[in-house]
Amino acid sequence: MKPIKYIILSAILVVMVFPLFWMFRVSLLPADLSLTVANLISSSVTLTAYRDLIGSGGMMRFFINSAVVGIAVTAGNILFCFMVGYALSRYRFIGRKFWFYSVIFVLMIPAHIIIIPLYLIIFRLGLYDTYWALILPFLVNPIGIFLVRQYIDTLPTSMEEAARIDGAGEFRILFRIIMPLCKPALAVLAIQVFLTNWNSFLFPLILTSSENVRTLPVALALLQGHQAIDWPHLMAGSAAAVIPVLVVFLFFQRHIVAGITAGAVKQ
Amino acid sequence: MKSRQLFGNLFSSPWIITFLLFWLFPLVYSLYLGFTDYRLMHGEYAWVGFDNFIRLLSDTSFLMALKNTFIFVLGTIPATTVIALVLALLIEKNFPGRTIFRSGYFIPSITAMVVIALVFTNLYSRGGYIHLLAGILGLDPPENGFLLSSKTALLAVMAMDVWMSVGYYMLLFLAGLKAIPRELYEAAEVAGAGFWRRLSSITLPLLKPVALFIIVINTIKSFQVFVEIFVMTRGRYGSSTAVYFVYDTGLTRFEFGYASAAAYILFVVIAIFSIAQFVMFRRRRLG
Repeated sequence: MKPIKYIILSAILVVMVFPLFWMFRVSLLPADLSLTVANLISSSVTLTAYRDLIGSGGMMRFFINSAVVGIAVTAGNILFCFMVGYALSRYRFIGRKFWFYSVIFVLMIPAHIIIIPLYLIIFRLGLYDTYWALILPFLVNPIGIFLVRQYIDTLPTSMEEAARIDGAGEFRILFRIIMPLCKPALAVLAIQVFLTNWNSFLFPLILTSSENVRTLPVALALLQGHQAIDWPHLMAGSAAAVIPVLVVFLFFQRHIVAGITAGAVKQ
Repeated sequence: MKSRQLFGNLFSSPWIITFLLFWLFPLVYSLYLGFTDYRLMHGEYAWVGFDNFIRLLSDTSFLMALKNTFIFVLGTIPATTVIALVLALLIEKNFPGRTIFRSGYFIPSITAMVVIALVFTNLYSRGGYIHLLAGILGLDPPENGFLLSSKTALLAVMAMDVWMSVGYYMLLFLAGLKAIPRELYEAAEVAGAGFWRRLSSITLPLLKPVALFIIVINTIKSFQVFVEIFVMTRGRYGSSTAVYFVYDTGLTRFEFGYASAAAYILFVVIAIFSIAQFVMFRRRRLG
């Protein structure tokens, strides 16, 4: 490695991580509405903004909403993508081809097309502005199904056949034999779903209206809409949205990369 | 076998229900709505034929949003693709500290778009770091910050978008580079091919499938740019985009029919672009 390359790479690194560093820096400033962007550059460090997050009327509520929705959606996807992926891989049933093509079809559809109708459907089902609105439509996703199906395709069928001869039922085979074998694929799936859901904005924005179910990204975006921006509080709330992602990234970097690159190289 | 049919359908049912209720039905429903004058939740509505589509084609705010969307797509995708490729080539080989660079470049793309947009709102505004830096470089930045000027608002959002997504596509390029057989490079080196020769004769041609995949998914994603516009400008200062128009028309003014028609126009645009890219890809592979 030539030193010049290190210098170039490091300069790029600074550009890439500075905004997040700046977010943390601003979040540690004294919360004061008179702060303008110009005088944010000060030396004091305080945890006031974070303390206010946890206090009453703070953003804790939105954090909890995001967590509830994120965990429910992730759990649903682990179970349902697995079931569907297994069915599409192993059972030769009528309609199998059709449902598989429907997965590919939805993979390619731009989601903006369902904004209006999904809003109307959720409204008519009486689910508008509830947790269910943010969970039900997202309990199973085409990428997840695709990932699981591909993975199960590579597994030998001998264990299932042996179990079937021993008289094991289909549920037992599904959950006791195949599911443990799919752990690596399901881990990739779970992390991908959680991150996507935790960061998601558009559907939580259009499917809820009250603070009771509002998720953290939506709350942050709507706070910014006010005239005078309270940067330390806003950045502390942003940090609360980023920290779980950074923790997941720290521990599961390999899974994240695997999830992203799984689809690409096969094309 | 009966049990195959039963369990196949049973285990597929979560998807079958989701697909029918939350994808297929909405897709058909919004096409239908596009031909009606449905507005407000409990209002009466009627079939109006192509009226919405005709009105859209002379609606200046829709046309501006559509134009901005094209500018966004055509401006960001080449920049993102080229920078991502350069980054991938820079950190392709193993060297001490490589993981740090790779992770650092990648982190923005797993951070919530809302958060990134908020931080950049700060950096772009008057007195923010990017605004200060532009001033020092003599670039004469808009007095009230980049987002409050119709000359720079859209460009500023585009620049942020490139910054944010290069790490993600860099990872895809790295996966593509890994899949290139080492022997090709060894043979080329034996034959005396230099760095540029190897790049143009081996690396780039073999990366074409990955590059096309990247361009296709980025096209579909970029045509739908919304979150950053919502957070940073609310579509003001000439920065509205097609999906922002759909959101604004449909869910703040509740013109469901009109918004659905606009969404379908964008849908067709995206479909045409995607199909064109696939066709180009096919032809190149055969030719």
